[in-house]
Amino acid sequence: MIAACLKWSAATGGWSAADQAALELGLQHAERTGTDCVAVTVGPAAAAGALGEALACGASRAVHVVVDGDLPSWDTAVALSAAVAEAITVWCGDYSADRGSGSVPAYLAALRHCEQALGVVEARPGSLPFEVLRRLDGGRRERVSVTGPAVVSVEGAAARLRRASLRAQLADHSARLTTVAGPPADHLDAPVVAYRPRARQLPAPAGAVALDRIGAILHSGTPARRGETVELEPPAAAAAILDALTRWGYRAGGAAPGGATS
Amino acid sequence: MTAPTTTTGPGGDVTGPHLTDADVVVVGGGPAGSCAALVAARAGLRVVLLERGPFPGSKNMYGGVVYPRILDQLIPQWWTQAPVQRWITRRSTMLLTDTQAMSVDFRSQAWAAAPHNGATAVRPEWDRWLAEEAAAAGAQVVCSTTVTGLLRDGHRIVGVRTDRPDGDLTARVVVACDGVNSFLAKQAGLYEHADAAHYTVGVKETLALPKATIDERFNVRDRDGVDIEILGGTGGVNGGAFLYTNLESVSVGVVLKVPKLAAQQRRPEEIIAALKAHPAITPLVDGGELVEYSAHLIPEAGLAMMPKVVADGMVVAGDAAALCLAAGIWLEGVNFAMASGMYAGESVVEAVRAGDVSETGLAGYRRRLADSFVLRDHRKLRRAPSLVLSDRVQHRYPPMIANTIERMFRVDNPAPKPGLRRILAEERKRAGVRVRDLARDAWDAMRTFG
Repeated sequence: MIAACLKWSAATGGWSAADQAALELGLQHAERTGTDCVAVTVGPAAAAGALGEALACGASRAVHVVVDGDLPSWDTAVALSAAVAEAITVWCGDYSADRGSGSVPAYLAALRHCEQALGVVEARPGSLPFEVLRRLDGGRRERVSVTGPAVVSVEGAAARLRRASLRAQLADHSARLTTVAGPPADHLDAPVVAYRPRARQLPAPAGAVALDRIGAILHSGTPARRGETVELEPPAAAAAILDALTRWGYRAGGAAPGGATS
Repeated sequence: MTAPTTTTGPGGDVTGPHLTDADVVVVGGGPAGSCAALVAARAGLRVVLLERGPFPGSKNMYGGVVYPRILDQLIPQWWTQAPVQRWITRRSTMLLTDTQAMSVDFRSQAWAAAPHNGATAVRPEWDRWLAEEAAAAGAQVVCSTTVTGLLRDGHRIVGVRTDRPDGDLTARVVVACDGVNSFLAKQAGLYEHADAAHYTVGVKETLALPKATIDERFNVRDRDGVDIEILGGTGGVNGGAFLYTNLESVSVGVVLKVPKLAAQQRRPEEIIAALKAHPAITPLVDGGELVEYSAHLIPEAGLAMMPKVVADGMVVAGDAAALCLAAGIWLEGVNFAMASGMYAGESVVEAVRAGDVSETGLAGYRRRLADSFVLRDHRKLRRAPSLVLSDRVQHRYPPMIANTIERMFRVDNPAPKPGLRRILAEERKRAGVRVRDLARDAWDAMRTFG
C-alpha cells in the first residue's frame, strides 16, 4: 500500500502545491507497483470535501482523521502514523497551505522507524529500490536511493496533479472514505482567515525623478547591508533578535507571531 | 448519470436519452451563481455549480461597496456571518481637477447598526461564503473547471461542456453567471452585438495601512468605513475614480471608458499613480504598501447593452446579463448580481416543477427582473450612463464648478466680493459650456435622477 498525506487548509480551502505533488506521485507509485494508494488527512470536518477530490483523482480510498482545531506537528504525525501503518511508502508535501513548519514528514519517519527523503524535487517512483533527487543548500542536489519503507516529502514542482474527470468529481465517494476520530486539538479562538502580512506604513521614496525614486527603493548605489554577528547570552541574544525584527518592521507593538503549527 | 450519446461541434449537439446529470447547472461561482444555486438547491433540485477558479471568488474583484439587503430574503441576519471588512457610515462624492477638490460628505451612524446599508468586503471571501451557503443547501460545487461551450439538442440548450476529461454535463436548465464577458450568452446568441463603448475597465490598487492610521485619516472608528466616489482624477479619460476603506487597507482605483483609454494610449497604472499624487488623495493613501493590483471589465451601458436573458433551457444573470448599475451617484453591481441570481433560481425551480424549461417556461425570470429593482432601477436611470460619461460632465463641468467655488471663497481684498451669478457666467464661458447645453444637461439630469 502507498499513502499520500495531505494537509487541508481552511484559509485556502485546499492543499498546497507540494501536497498535490505528493498525491500525484503516490498515485503514480501505486499504478506502477500494482498496489492501492490511500489519501490521508488530519483535519476538521470540512477537509472531507478535499479528500473527495483525491478519490476523484484515483486514490483507492481515503482516511480522514477528524480533529476540530490545530494539532502540534508531533501529534499530527502520531495521528497519521496509525492511519498509514501498512504503507510501504508515504508521500507528503514538504510544506502545507497554511504555512506550517513542514516537520510532520520527519516526525512520521521517526515514528515509523523507516527511511526518509525530505525536500525531493524529482522522483520516478516504482519498485524498490527507486531513486529520488533532493534539494540541498547552496543549489546542490543529492540523489537518494529509497530501499525500504520510507517517508518522502516533495516540493510542489516535483509533479503536477492530474485532473479528475468531471464524472469522477461529481460521483459519490463516501463509501471509500473512512472517518476516524483524532486526538483532542488545541482550539483556535480566532476564526481562520487567509494570511496577510501585517500592514505597515512605508515612507515615500525620495527623489525628483522616477529613476531616483526606484533607486531609493532598491537601495542601489549604497553598500549592501551586511549581517551582524554578536555574541551574547541567550536572553540578551533573544532580546537583540526581537529588537532587530521590530526595527525591520516584522514585529509591531511587542506582539510575537504565533507559534509554528503542523 | 447518463452521458449524452452523441456530441458534435465546438459546443456539441446532443441527441439521445433525455435523462440529465443534473436539474440545474450554474456556471460561475460569483454572487449571481451562488444565489441561483442556493435557491434551486433549497427547493430540492439537483444543482451543480461550476467555477473555473480554484475556489469561488478567487478571480473576482469589485471597486466599491456591497449593498447586501437583498440577502434578507435568502439568509436571515446575514450580517452576523457575512465576511465584511467595514460597514459604510460615511459616503462622500468628490469632484477633482488637477489642483482642486470639492466634496459632498454624508455620515449616518444608523448605517453602523444592523441591518446596515453598505459594506466593503474582500470578494474572494464574500463569494466563497455565498458559495458555501449554496453547498450547505445541497448544491455540488466543482472548482477549477472551465465551461468551454454549450450542449444543444436542436435549438434547446441541454447542458455544458467543460475542460475536464469526460467533461460534458447535461442539465434541464443552464444558469449562465459567467461574468462580464459571457461566452455562454454570446454562444447562445443572446447578445446582438458587442460594442467596446459599452464597457469600462476598473483598475484597483489595494494599499495596506494600519487600522489606526485608516481610522485617523478617514475619521472613523471600530468597523465604520468610508466610500469616496470621485468625478475627475482619471487623467482626461472619461470615467471616474474611487477610494474606500477596508479593515487594514484602502482600495483606490479608477473606472475608465475603454475606447477613450485606448485612444489616449494611457496605462491605467499611470492614471492611478497620478490620482494618488493628487493633493486631496495623497494624505489619505500615503505610506500604503501595495498588496494587490487588479483589473476587470465592467458592463456600464445598462439597458443599452442588456442581452436577452432567457433562451430555451438557459437563463443569464449577473454581469453576464450586464446587470450592473453605473449611474453616477449610484454605482452598484453585487446587489444586482445577487438579486438576479435569486430570481433566476426561483424561475428555474418554477419551470422545472412545471416540466417546461423552454423560453416560455422560463419567462418568469424576465417577469421577476422587470417587477423588481433590478430592471426598474435600470429603466429609471437608463439615461444616466451616457450622461455621466459624456464629455461635458467629464471634462467641462468639473473645472467650471471648482473654479466657481474657488472664486466664491477667495478673498481678493481690496477688491469687493463679486456676485455668484457673475462668477458662474464667467466660469461657464471659460469652460466653453454653452447655455443651451447646460440647460439640456440639467433637464436630462432632472429626468434621469428626479
